[in-house]
Parts: sequence; structure tokens; C-alpha cells
Amino acid sequence: MRQRSLVILTSVLTTGALTLTACGSRDNSGDKSGDGSGTTLTIGVDAPLSGENSTTGLGIQYGVQIAVDDANKNNWVPGVKFKVKALDDKAQPANGQSNATALVGDGTVVGAVGPLNSGVAQSMQQVFASANMVQISPSNTNPELTQGKNWQTKKTRPYKTYFRTATTDANQGGFAAQYAAQGLKKKKAFVVDDKQTYGSGLAKIFAEKFKSYGGTVVGTDHVNTGDKDFGSLVTKIKNSKADLLYYGGQYDESSLITKQLKDAGVKIPLFGGDGMFASTYIDVAGKAAEGDLATSVGVPADTLPAAKQFIQTYKSKGYKGDYAAYGAYAYDAASAIIKAVKAVKDANGGKLPSDIKTDLRAKVVDEVQKSDFEGITGKVAFDQYGDTTNKQLTVYQVVNGKWKAVKTGTYNG
Amino acid sequence: MNTLPQQLANGLLLGSMYGLIAIGYTMVYGIVQLINFAHGEIFMTGAFGALTVYAYILPHGTSMWAAVPLMLIGGAIVAVLVAVGAERFAYRPLRQAPRLAPLITAIGLSLALQEVVRNFYPGADKARSFPSLDTTHDLGAVTIKDADIFLIIAAIVCMSSLAYFVRKSRTGRAMQATAQDPDTAQLMGIDTNRIIVIAFAIGGLFAAVAAVSYGLKYGNVDYRMGFLMGLKAFTAAVLGGIGNIYGAMLGGVVLGIAETLASAYINNIPGMQQLGGQSWANVWAFCLLILVLLLRPQGLLGERVADRA
Amino acid sequence: MTDTTKTPTPENTAPATTAPRGPLPLPTAAARALLLAGGLATLASTFLAWTWTSEFPGDLTVYGYPGGLQWLTFTAGLLTTLFTLASYQVRGLRWLLPAGNNTPLLLTAVGAFGVTWFTILAIAIELGGLVNLEPGGWIAAVASLLPLLGALALPPATATSGTGSTGGTKETIKAYVAKPEHIPAAQPLNGWAQRLIITAVTALGLAVFTYGIDTEYGELFIGYLIVVVFAVWALHTAGLLDRFSRLVAANRGFTLAMGFAAAIAFPFTQTDDHYANIGVNILIFGTVALGLNIVVGLAGLLDLGYVAFLGVGAYTAALVSGSEFSKFSGVQFPFWAAALTGMAASLVFGVLIGAPTLRLRGDYLAIVTLGFGEIFRIAVNNMDGQSGPDVTNGPNGIPSIPDLKLFGFNFGNPHDLGGFTLGRFANYYLLMVLIMAIVVLVYTRAADSRIGRSWIAIREDETAATAMGINGFRVKLIAFALGASLAGLAGTVSAHVTYSVVPTPYQFAGSTPPNSAFLLAAVVLGGMGTVAGPLLGAALLYLLPEKLDFLQDKSLLAFGIALILLMRFRPEGIIANRRRQLEFHETGQLDIPDTPTLTGEPAVTTKAGA
Repeated sequence: MRQRSLVILTSVLTTGALTLTACGSRDNSGDKSGDGSGTTLTIGVDAPLSGENSTTGLGIQYGVQIAVDDANKNNWVPGVKFKVKALDDKAQPANGQSNATALVGDGTVVGAVGPLNSGVAQSMQQVFASANMVQISPSNTNPELTQGKNWQTKKTRPYKTYFRTATTDANQGGFAAQYAAQGLKKKKAFVVDDKQTYGSGLAKIFAEKFKSYGGTVVGTDHVNTGDKDFGSLVTKIKNSKADLLYYGGQYDESSLITKQLKDAGVKIPLFGGDGMFASTYIDVAGKAAEGDLATSVGVPADTLPAAKQFIQTYKSKGYKGDYAAYGAYAYDAASAIIKAVKAVKDANGGKLPSDIKTDLRAKVVDEVQKSDFEGITGKVAFDQYGDTTNKQLTVYQVVNGKWKAVKTGTYNG
Repeated sequence: MNTLPQQLANGLLLGSMYGLIAIGYTMVYGIVQLINFAHGEIFMTGAFGALTVYAYILPHGTSMWAAVPLMLIGGAIVAVLVAVGAERFAYRPLRQAPRLAPLITAIGLSLALQEVVRNFYPGADKARSFPSLDTTHDLGAVTIKDADIFLIIAAIVCMSSLAYFVRKSRTGRAMQATAQDPDTAQLMGIDTNRIIVIAFAIGGLFAAVAAVSYGLKYGNVDYRMGFLMGLKAFTAAVLGGIGNIYGAMLGGVVLGIAETLASAYINNIPGMQQLGGQSWANVWAFCLLILVLLLRPQGLLGERVADRA
Repeated sequence: MTDTTKTPTPENTAPATTAPRGPLPLPTAAARALLLAGGLATLASTFLAWTWTSEFPGDLTVYGYPGGLQWLTFTAGLLTTLFTLASYQVRGLRWLLPAGNNTPLLLTAVGAFGVTWFTILAIAIELGGLVNLEPGGWIAAVASLLPLLGALALPPATATSGTGSTGGTKETIKAYVAKPEHIPAAQPLNGWAQRLIITAVTALGLAVFTYGIDTEYGELFIGYLIVVVFAVWALHTAGLLDRFSRLVAANRGFTLAMGFAAAIAFPFTQTDDHYANIGVNILIFGTVALGLNIVVGLAGLLDLGYVAFLGVGAYTAALVSGSEFSKFSGVQFPFWAAALTGMAASLVFGVLIGAPTLRLRGDYLAIVTLGFGEIFRIAVNNMDGQSGPDVTNGPNGIPSIPDLKLFGFNFGNPHDLGGFTLGRFANYYLLMVLIMAIVVLVYTRAADSRIGRSWIAIREDETAATAMGINGFRVKLIAFALGASLAGLAGTVSAHVTYSVVPTPYQFAGSTPPNSAFLLAAVVLGGMGTVAGPLLGAALLYLLPEKLDFLQDKSLLAFGIALILLMRFRPEGIIANRRRQLEFHETGQLDIPDTPTLTGEPAVTTKAGA
């Protein structure tokens, strides 16, 4: 409730005058554009906001919220105010789809940020494509979503309205493999994943690339999300004499694995993707996390003042959820939509196209495609498939209980 | 290196935890024929009760020798209160209701308990770290740590005292009588309501012991930890013969070992490389359950119960 | 004459000195006047502004006409006024109170009070303080309190039973909300009038249902629930539902037809495809719940892994849909073939799991089905060629499932029909209505047949049934297989609706339907063994989490508590099976207070059909 009243308070203050004039009319469904001064557009958010994945999902919601607040405060698009409509998909495809139709049906929505899960994205893409409405996911990493089924051989883009600010598994897995083989000089990796789209994709690519860099994969295993006991797995890893454990998945399981691994006396580092690049990982695993590694997209946050500012705002507003995983990507995704609206407005002689549903949305899709600006995770721009061109990746390592950047670079493999 | 002893130990440890939780299912089922699906969440609240004692009540840096017993007490108080409260306010009003109504209540209760902890316990929307006993002991083929020793001792102590209580004490015998025939037991002057409350309380107590062992072993607790553990414990209770307290422990251990071995060795079997590993372990565990039930429908130690459904 | 208006059943009550009174010391005439005045005042207050800012959803700032939650207060106030007028024996309204009792007055008054105060409190809490209320809000709060006070001053209807005056609070409350034992039969109507009434009620049901689905924000939905629950309860205690179910019983076929007509009409009332999307999801969920009802409600087999059959159907349909991600991407079955394949696959799995396990009794079956459900989910999650055979594409699922085409009719495109545009989801909605019709037909036919009676016999007492010569195993296997194939059929459509199948929805318990626990909850909550029950339960269970969004991260908590409370106060389900109900009457159900027991089963067939 507290967030809600905060949100309400901010919007009350910013739209006070508008409210007074709008008193007489109840019907505010859509046709507010055109008159320049008082237009309010909505950015939709779809993420799991309750239940299992909600910690990460809320990070996306409030990432967008901060972007929208910034846009309103700093007047990114003169005469246009933005607000957030966050819908809860509970990490289920059917709910995500229902939210997509709700956003499409709402005449003030210009674009959507989300979802968290690739599986949910699959059921939403077509809905947005039919409505010609832009959708930017801050976290989907499955290459198939943008590059089609045969992305390894022949890339084709299935939906031209779908973009993402997260990088694909292909980049991250490859970068990690390169660093493991060449930077860490590891020879024998044990590869584990959580059988989710993100984790299994990442682990698969890591294993392939690691082999191509001359390493051997001495064992693989798969776990289920929600597992707590990894005794059997740990014994297997111990027995395999691996010198590195690569884990594709989220911190929920990897923090437990690394702890149980090190308790069993196996002192090898655990290496993972951006799904475990969060302070929670260290909080839960404690000392066992020391020396573990994770890749993440973009340059380290503390080298970019804007990112620091974002984290500070997030904390000071007391938002729930975890911004570390995808909050900043969500911020950039929302910024891309907002800036696209500005570009449409400027190209249209300083006025927004009058019909949001048929005209503005389509133009925003085109402008998002042309995005090119400095976001808080680095440069925000999209290639011909809708993937981020930000191929900057950073390897972080836990040093003295903190994530510390050890290598930044781009992957071209 | 032969991993079998270590894997057996892993399975035994996991199974003991299942067994401790399964006691709660089996006792409640034995007396009121109710599958208390919220029992996993009682286990979870026990863990948070223990965490509260450690993180908010005890001074920082208390020795674990002093902290663990106090955490056990804290966890037990919370878990027993939740269990008894659930019985009193959610299940008792439904005692005459259709058989499935309490099941839905249990599902609702389970959801509500999870959400209460997630929303109102500080920092519980993510996993919270729990003091763990990590000193390891190398016993040749097997490496175990202090938390494992604690778990084994706790399981043995709990089981033997429960067995003694049920067999020797007046209340324990009253419980047996109620389980056999509630109506007759009542006619014989046994306060069945009290017996049911005691069954729930013992279930909560054992769940709290399991919860503290869990925390000491894995070093963290979270609001979802009860769901899967509860499901497994229920499976263990059925495997061992629901209603039988020794069966619950045996079922737990068998289930734990089966899971661990399946996870460790199935992919070494030719032709089944792809069906092994931890992600398939639950499948094999359930297959074992189905197999056992087909051969011995009353479970490993269950007695043939005439038509209770 | 005045006497009769004061106490509706004067011949049964004691003389004036001990005349039953409500807890509030007010003369009956004054109480009734208070009710009427309060009802009218409540009505009037909705024309005022309740708050100063349109930040509260629904914009309650307008003088001159009601909006948002005010409409709900208006409706509840109107009902209160009408019932009060009826108790004054106003000509033309007397049919509202056939038994002449006061309970409906109280219930509608509580409804009006509830929804108004809920709104006022919601305004105060969300906008941060009572200062956000305009005078209109205060007036509404006071006005809606008046009828409640009035109703509490009226004597409880069943004071005649003799226990009313001395019993504890619980007894008093019970007496207040009880339905009279005897409801005078209505004057016989001719056939046309009967059908007219059924049509009108169906239309009203559709309107009410549509309003519920279309509620745009959670506060409105809560208000809606308050009004609907108390209004239906009031109608029930007034005896009108009984009368209506008698009408329905006399016109069964017509009612069923009207129910489906209303269901078909739903997408035509919608301008936004989103609500058709919700509608189709509810229908899929409801159809599967109805299939489960055969297994649980009729045959009494507790199945905790039922959602797996939905999954089998969905995966089968996806595999033969021609999606490029399918293992058999070259294969594209026409829909009828895909539907049959999905059903057949589910049937095979149903028999495979049922044949060995149905010999187990009771709760052992429950755990085996639970295990099967988990095995299914884990298996499809692993069969991606890496950690299992390459069949289901693992966690990525099978996306890009093409839209259905039937007779050249592409379900993916919007179609114009008589001036109405039917979007993609409306198309699928209509297909699901057809499928639901089939399932309802199968269900009712099976339930009334020899096999259905065997199921019920088995459910009630397996030993006795077997002794009577019923082959328990065979009969149970049929129930299991039939239930499974119906779920498979629903699954084939759901695969096309969501464009993709992934393993995540097919779990034992989760926060959102469909999952096995929710399916079971829909059946039990709605009423086992009835047609309308699971459909109503499914609608409620789908809409509740969806509409509780405004509670944000507390929504699941609220939902869990709602489940507990619903079971606490209505353990036999919202629409109770006749047979079950009679059982409860015999056993006396002392632990279940104050709930009305008999809701005519056929009456609600219409409502849920809507």
C-alpha cells in the first residue's frame, strides 16, 4: 500500500492542475493525446510481481518506475507525462498473455517492458506484434526469441515489435567460457544448470565454447528450481576432480550449491551468469561465495554515475524487490520507449500523432529500432534482430564479500 | 574413488529430515484422516521462529552450544503455535464437513502462511542466512559436518522419545486408541479434541526440530522451503505406511536414499544416461513410491486398514 | 392490517408483550421507516461527490450521477429499498418477499452498508486519510448505516422456532439469516411467462457476470463481490431462488439453451479483446475443472495431479500443430484430428496411470496421482535431447503454435459478425463454448446413466457397491479415463490460445490457475458433483487472483485467506449437490453456522452458463 500511496502522491503533485480541469469528465479512456500540454502516456510492465519470482519481477517494475519518474521530472518529452501500469504475470504464460491483451486494449499504453521469463515472452510476442506495439524485455536471454529457431545457422527475426536490453545466452556463455579457459586457465569444468530457459541455454553454450577453447567438460548435471539439497551433486563434482563449476541459473540455487560444495571441502570457484550477480548471492552463501565469479552485461555500475544514481534512488525510495539483476535493464528499456516517443513527436512537428492505437504505437516501434543513447547499463541500441548492441560484458568476482569487476570486454566468438 | 558410502550418507541425512517432517503428517492422518498439506509451512515457520531467536533475541556472538537449544525452543514454540492454531481455527470447524474441504483449507493455509512470512518477516522475500555448523569431519570414505551429526542425533532422540511416549504414557495410549476408533475412544472417556491437538503439537515440534537441522545444515532459510520438503515428507509418510510413526521415519530414509542414489548413479546405467541426474531424481522417487504401493498398498510398515477413505 | 405488516407471521408469534424484537430497541414501524428512508438516502448519496480527486479509481468526484463503486452502492441501496417496499406490501412488489420474512431486508442492508463503507475506507486508506472524503462520502456512510440499524431492530424471521429470544449471539445471528422453512408456492404461470422470466433472469445473469469480468480495478471487483454475495443471499432467503429453481426444473432444456445463448452472447458485449481473453482462460479452466468433477465429484477419487492431463493434451496438440519448434514440425493435423489425438493421448495416460493404481484406496491414490503430475512436469521439462529424449523441447517449450483454421475460418484474425467485431480471443472463446457444451453434455449424460449411478455408489460406499455387483475397478477406470480425455480436449485448445506450451503451468500448486490444487479447489469450492459448481468455482478462482492485483504483493495472502474462509463458511461448496445437502440436514452440521443450505442446483446452471 505504501508504494501505491507514494506513486499516487507523486502523480497527484505533478498532475494537480490536470486533475482539477478533468473533474467534470469521468471518461479518460484514451483520447487525451493531441493537445500537447496534458498528454499522459502509459508504459506497461509485465513481470511476476507476486509469488515465486517476484523479487526479481519487482526490480523490473520499479526500474521502469524510476525511469518514468526521471522522464517526468526532467521533462524528457516536453508536454507528455508518463505513468506506469504494472501487471503481474506470476511467471505463467497464460497470465502474461492476458496482461498483454490488457495493455494492448488500454488506449494510453505506448509500449511495454517485460516479461522476466522467456517462456512467458513466447505467449506475448504475437499479441504485441498484432497490435504493432513495442515490447522490450530487460531479461529474456533465449536467442530464439529474436533470432528464430535456427539462430545458430540462419538468423531470422520472428517479431519486429520485440526487443531486449538483455544480451543473449550466446554472448554471455561464450564470454564466460573464454574467461574461464584463457583468463582463469581452468581445464576441467563441471557444468550444471537449472533446466530453465535461461540457465540451460547458458550452460549449453558455455559447455560448447569451453570445449572449443581447449577445456574439457568432466561432467554435467541438471537440478530443479526449488531444490535445496545438493549433497549428491556435490559428491559427484568432488569425484570428478573438476577445477571449475559452471552454473546456469539463478542465485536461489547457486548460492546453496556453492555453500554445500565448499562445506564438503571442494574449493573450486563457481562461475555463473547475470542471474546470480546479486548481493543476495553473497548474503546467503556467506564465506563460501569468496572467489566465485559471474558475468554481467554492460560495464560495472560504479563506473557510470547514472547507474549509481539509479541504485541510490531505488534504495532511497524504499522499493521492494531486487534491482541488481534486471532493474537497470528495465530502466533502459523504459527509457528507450520514452525517447522513442520523443523522436516520434519531434518528427511529427512537435505533436504526437492523434491516434495512439493505430499510429503512435507503430511509429514508436520504428523509433525504438533506431534507439541510440547512453543508458545506465551502457549504450542502448538495437540490431536488426532487436537484440541490444551493447555487447559489453564484465566478469565479476567475489572478493572480501563484495562483487568486484575483474574483466570488462566484448565477446566476439 | 568410491562414492557410494558418501552418497548413502547424503541420502540418510536428507531422509532423516523428511522423516522428522513426515511424523507430523502421519500422526495427524492417523488420528483424523486429514492430509495436512500446510504441514510443510509449519516446518517453515519453525525455521523462522528459530531464526528470530538467533538474529533478534540472542546477543551477537552467542556460542552455538548455547544458541542451538534456544533456537530449538524458539522454533518449537512458533511451529507448535502455528500447528495448534491451524487445527483450532481452520480444521476443527471442518471436522464434519466433506472430506475434501479441509484439503482446500490446507492449500489456502499453506499459501497464506508463506505469504505472511514473505510479507511481514524482515528480509524474508529473499533467502535469509541462518547460522550453520560447518566444521567438517573426514571419516575416510565419508565426510560429514557438525550439522549432519546434530541432525542424526536429533532424529534418533526424537524418534525414540516419541516411541516411548506413544507406547508408555497415558496420553500416548489414548492416542493409539483414538487412532483405532475415535468414537469408541470417546466413549471410553478420552478427550479426542485434546488428543488431536496433541497430535498437531507433536507434528509441529518435530517439524521445528527438522527446521533447525535444515537451517544448521544449509545455512539459510526462505519462505518457500516448506513446500517441496512438505511434499516429500508426505510422500515419505505414505511410503512408510501413513499412520505409522516408524513408517514415517523409514519412508523418509528410504526416499532420501532413493533420491540420492538415483541422482548419482542412474546415468551410469547404459541406455539411461539421459534419464539420470538430479533433475530426474524426483521422478525415480515417485516411481519407487508407486512401485511400493502396488506391491504393498498399505506402505512399508502400514497395517492393512479397512476402508478408511 | 397494520399488525400483519409489522410481523409477517403473526399467527405464529407470541402476543405483543413478548413480541420478538431485534437487538436494537426500536418500534417495528419506526425500524421499517428507517430502512426505507435509509435506502432512499443511500440511493441519493450516490449522486454526490464522495472524494475530491479522480485519483481514486472510478472518479467519484462528480455531482449529478453515480460512477464506479457508487453504482454498486446504488444497486445495493435499490435492492434494500425494493425489499423494504415489498415488506410494506406495496402492490406489484409483493412477489419479492413470498415468505414475508425480514432476513432479505437485513442482508441487502448489510450489502449496501458493506460496499459503501468499503468504498469510504478504501478512499481514506489509499488517498491517505479521512480528509479526502467530500461531504457526499460522509452522507453516504451515514445513509448506508441507517437501513442496517433499521433491519437490526426488526424481529428475526425464525423467532417462531422458539429458540430465538434466549439463545446466545450465535443463535441470534443464525436466526437472523436463516431461510424460512416454508415458502409459499407461487401462483402457477403459463409457459410463456415462465420462459420470459427465465430469459430475463439469464440476461440479468449475463449482465452481472459480464460486469464482474469487466471490472477494471480490484476495488470495484471487491465491491462487486460484496453486493453480489449479499444480493444472492437475500434472494435466497427470500425464497426467490427456490421459486426460480422450480421454474427451471419445469423448463430444463430451455434454461440450458438460454444459458448457452448467454455464454455465446458474452463476446458480443465486449469491445476489448482482453475480456474475451479472460473469458477463454476461464472456460479452459472451467472445462478442465468439470472433467475433474467426474473423477472427484462423481466417482469420489481424489486426483492431485489432474493438470497433467491438460498438459498431455496441450503438448500433443503442440507437437502436431505444425509449429517449427515441434519435434514433428512437418506434421500439421487439422484441428479435429489434433483434438482427437490430444484426447486419445490423455486417455492413454489416464488408463496407464489408472490401471495399476485404482486398486488403491482413498488417499493412497491421491499421492500416486500427485506423483504422476510431478513426473509429467519434470519429464517434459527434461525431454529436450540434453537431459532426456528429444521430444518436448524442455524448458523452452514449443512456441509459435499457429492459429487454428476451421473451414477456412482463421481464428487468429478478427472477424466482423453482424456489426460486431470478434477479435482473436473471442473466436477461441466461442470455440471453447462449443467444447464446454460437449463436456457438459458428456457430464450430464454420464452422471444420469447407469455408469454415473455406479460412480456415486462407489463414492458413497465402495464395499457396499461392490457387494451389489458393481465392478468397482472398471467403473473407476472409466471415470478416470473420461476425466483425463476431457482435460486433454481442453488442453488442445489452450495450446493454440497461448501460442506456446511450456512446462511451468502444469505443477501441483502455484499462485495461479490452472494447477492441480486450483483445479481441485475450483471443484470443491464450487460444489462437487454439480455442473455449475466447478464452472463458478473456476471463474471465481481465476478472477480473484487477477482482480486482487491492487493488493500488490499481498494478493496471494488475501487469496489464501479467502480460500480458508470460503471453506470455513461453505464447506459443501457454493452450489451444493442436492444429495450432499440432504446428508447435511441429517447430520445436523452443528459446526457450520449461519449459512444458507439449499441453493437450487438447476437455478445456477443458468448463472454459470452465462
